[in-house]
Amino acid sequence: MTRVGIIGLGTMGAQHIDAYRAMPDVEVAAVYDHHAERAQAFAQKYSVRVAESLNDLLDHCEVIDICTPTYRHAEYALPAIEAGKAVVCEKPLARTLEDCERIVNAVKQRNTPFMPAHVLRFFPEYRTAHQLVRSGALGAIAAVRMRRGGDFPRAKSDWYADFSKSGGVILDLIIHDLDWLLWTLGAVERVYAKALTFRNLTHLDYTLVTLKFKNGAVGHVEGTWCDPGGFKVNFEVCGDSGMLEYDSTRQIALQIATRSDEGTGGGVQVPESPAAQNPYYLELRHFVDCVQNGQTPEITVEDGYNAVRLALAAIESAQTGRAIAL
Amino acid sequence: MKVKVGIMSFAHLHADSYAHCLKANPNAELVGIADHDAARAQAKAQAFETHAFDSYESLLASEVQAVIICSENARHASLAQMAAAAGKHILCEKPLMTKPDDGKAMLAAAHGAGVHLFTAFPCRFSPAFQQMMRTLESGAIGELLALRGTNRGSNPGGWFNDPELAGGGAMMDHTVHVADLIRLLTGQEIAEVYAETGNNMFHGAFDDTAMLTMTLQNGVFATLDSSWSRPKTFPTWGDVTLAAIGTRGIIEMDMFAQHLVHYDDRAGRIKQVFWGDDIDYLMVDEFLRVVAGAERQMLATGEDGYRAAAVAIAGYESVKRREPVPVQA
Repeated sequence: MTRVGIIGLGTMGAQHIDAYRAMPDVEVAAVYDHHAERAQAFAQKYSVRVAESLNDLLDHCEVIDICTPTYRHAEYALPAIEAGKAVVCEKPLARTLEDCERIVNAVKQRNTPFMPAHVLRFFPEYRTAHQLVRSGALGAIAAVRMRRGGDFPRAKSDWYADFSKSGGVILDLIIHDLDWLLWTLGAVERVYAKALTFRNLTHLDYTLVTLKFKNGAVGHVEGTWCDPGGFKVNFEVCGDSGMLEYDSTRQIALQIATRSDEGTGGGVQVPESPAAQNPYYLELRHFVDCVQNGQTPEITVEDGYNAVRLALAAIESAQTGRAIAL
Repeated sequence: MKVKVGIMSFAHLHADSYAHCLKANPNAELVGIADHDAARAQAKAQAFETHAFDSYESLLASEVQAVIICSENARHASLAQMAAAAGKHILCEKPLMTKPDDGKAMLAAAHGAGVHLFTAFPCRFSPAFQQMMRTLESGAIGELLALRGTNRGSNPGGWFNDPELAGGGAMMDHTVHVADLIRLLTGQEIAEVYAETGNNMFHGAFDDTAMLTMTLQNGVFATLDSSWSRPKTFPTWGDVTLAAIGTRGIIEMDMFAQHLVHYDDRAGRIKQVFWGDDIDYLMVDEFLRVVAGAERQMLATGEDGYRAAAVAIAGYESVKRREPVPVQA
């Protein structure tokens, strides 16, 4: 039985405990959140023990799963790594490059299992696209476009709206796409970005990022937290032998529409992509398997560092108006 | 009274569409065609049941009131100056010019001769775009913050791959339509351009992939993908899309979304069959009416063509300098 402890009991904490509870060889031994009330409510809902302190959690778990807001990742990851624990940490790896470096160095020194949770790599549409590109099915890649976003995310204490905590739409949201691009196309030579992040607009953030890859491909990533039309993603990969496209508003496996009883016309339509295992399960199962079998997770701490480095370069470009070489 | 029109060069494939528009319009007479490629002039004259002139001079010496110029991009300037000197009104294929000095000379020639010089920007006539303009103007999406556009296509080949004649590759070919729409939609000039290009599609000495970032005078920013990135199996020629992001909502326009999908076993491929309005026809129709004396409404002027082409030219400068550059006014 692998004993897991979860730190940070918001949206991602709930998503992750659901995944662990579907694993017969995993026990969520304890959970921790610096909001005591939220920890109690979470513990009651899932019948798990709340750790009295971080040390209490570390003493009773082999795997530590960090689901806190970005700016607190390093604060929890570093002592866990120091204690020799296997650590899976939500994306982005950390809020600053300095914190990322501390985590990378700690992992190298202690040689502990570590994985940044870039869950997009476990979404079957993105995984299949990655495999097709890498297989050479599209030939040389010339242009890639990716889009992600919807309305502004709401969370406890509104931390997404605080750039110093979340890093805005570039660091928090399109880091998914930036990691996928680095994974699939390799290193980036130069980045140029525009963003609304520094306009001080209330609950609106938007970015358009252009990337030039070392292999000559050109990339474009749109990230939005100002689309009232709901969360949507799409991507398109163009090569000299073909093109792939995916659009979450078009490829929908199951669409459920319900009429409201009041007859006010306010019906609800929910698109779904049912799967035997959800991407969070696949991601965390992979990490637990690696811990159990002594294997290296397929997303490395360096991958987490590189994604943050690229995102911060895009932010620097948006702030300074210059193209940033990497 | 029919408006008498001639076509100067069929080097650009849009000439065929404009010839069809003239033949279909009850107010137009396609008097004839001249082309530096005499064989092409003969073939097109036969196809469109009109006269092939043996030189541009003889076409311009005829009774034509107006000409449509569809030569290679770099030859627009000399043909437009000839037409202006002959007192003919001009509709010039885009991009208006490949060098700013050429554009200035064209504007000066038309002004000096007192003839109209228009740029062929049919996308302005799209009902979807016009409704987008009205929606933005109504304030429905609040204050405009950003724009995202695409005008992807496939490589036309031939002289389009010769930067001397085309003035560049994909970025020169496909930047101007959406740059023009952005100017019209916002009433703002594009002040600064950053661009990245690539050639991984065709591996030639020209750009086949291009991504521009534009900053307007008022700080609104926009990107435009003008790549020749549609594969051979793509069901249509390409696209024109433009999204407007505002403080209260967004507008997404897909100009050629009005199509059927035709799974064609006889051709062995899937095709889009467009059923929306023919924007080339609407543009040529306004050109005919203006030549006949009506006021210009939607037609793009020579100045509009200059401003849009200057964006693509600034894009190439940016690629060289690897930094954003100002657009030449």
